[in-house]
Amino acid sequence: MPAKSKSKEEEIENLQETLKDIKTKEGIIGYILRGPNSASIDLKDPTKIIDHAILSATALEAGQDISNTFEIGKVDSIILEGGNIKVLSMIIGDNRLSIFMEKNVDHDKLCEDLDLRL
Amino acid sequence: MSKNAYTDALKNTLTEIKKICPDVSCSFIFTKDGTIVTGDSETAEETIQKTMYSFQSIAEKEDMIGGLKALIINGENGKVHISCINDMYLALATSKNADAAFLQAITHVLVPTVLKLLESIAPTPLQFAPSKQLVVDTLSGFFVGDSVQIDLEVLKEWSTLLNRKSIGEVKIEAFSGKTTQCVVREINDPKLKGIIRIPEKICKVLEVKKGELVRVKPTETRGDLNARQKQI
Repeated sequence: MPAKSKSKEEEIENLQETLKDIKTKEGIIGYILRGPNSASIDLKDPTKIIDHAILSATALEAGQDISNTFEIGKVDSIILEGGNIKVLSMIIGDNRLSIFMEKNVDHDKLCEDLDLRL
Repeated sequence: MSKNAYTDALKNTLTEIKKICPDVSCSFIFTKDGTIVTGDSETAEETIQKTMYSFQSIAEKEDMIGGLKALIINGENGKVHISCINDMYLALATSKNADAAFLQAITHVLVPTVLKLLESIAPTPLQFAPSKQLVVDTLSGFFVGDSVQIDLEVLKEWSTLLNRKSIGEVKIEAFSGKTTQCVVREINDPKLKGIIRIPEKICKVLEVKKGELVRVKPTETRGDLNARQKQI
């Protein structure tokens, strides 16, 4: 049990490190990482935290519902494209991650970064 | 051009897309307000309804991202791609290995071209019946009959938008996917807004209870269709 907890802790630490790197990239607005007991939020505009959190939760929920409807299996990633903002959402272990970015950011590259470094 | 011809043209477009990209397993087009424009014959209406409900939960928050242009879900065994084309949304379910860029390029050329062509044939854009989400109130008693009741404001809005004298029938869709068609009358009490009064036996058919939400839209009766064809 302690070993398992440790690996989970390490996983979250690695993920947070990766997110810190991602946050420094051009066009990245911020991210929300929600675990079972805690959440890390780093957004350029803190006044919009609630709006971003609601959008993140809705995208993840709707994405999973649509995945169940079409029976496409476990959701790897959800990409929400707006007129000026893009959101990449993923479920990593027990954590739910949403990265907010400008529309021109290559989200595939971010997915690769997250996959490689975890 | 009738609405049927319009939807048939789009349905044929979806069939052609499927022929070009066999990786596409399901395809359909819907509007933001939750009206199904057309879909391929393989996709069940329940699947379309469920997808629209999920999609609309995000669309309600679209102001935050400057309007909803696309939603892509990458799953372990496939992908779902919903993209905005000319005020409508095209949903495509594909296998995991489908070439998304190629598919996007095709759909974003074919569908707008067909829509433009249809507009040039029928210059007045065809109005699709706008659906409304209403709260269920049950009607009980010996004399309730089989008709449902909706407030006059909603009925007037539909009549104006569809250029019809009155709305005679509506289609009711429950969140479970159950649907039924009923004669509609106005609610006499002007204070009651945003609700639909449904006889208990119809509630049983729809598997809905008082206080639950249903989607309601006007239907076209044979008389409406004949009148529209005469106009054209």
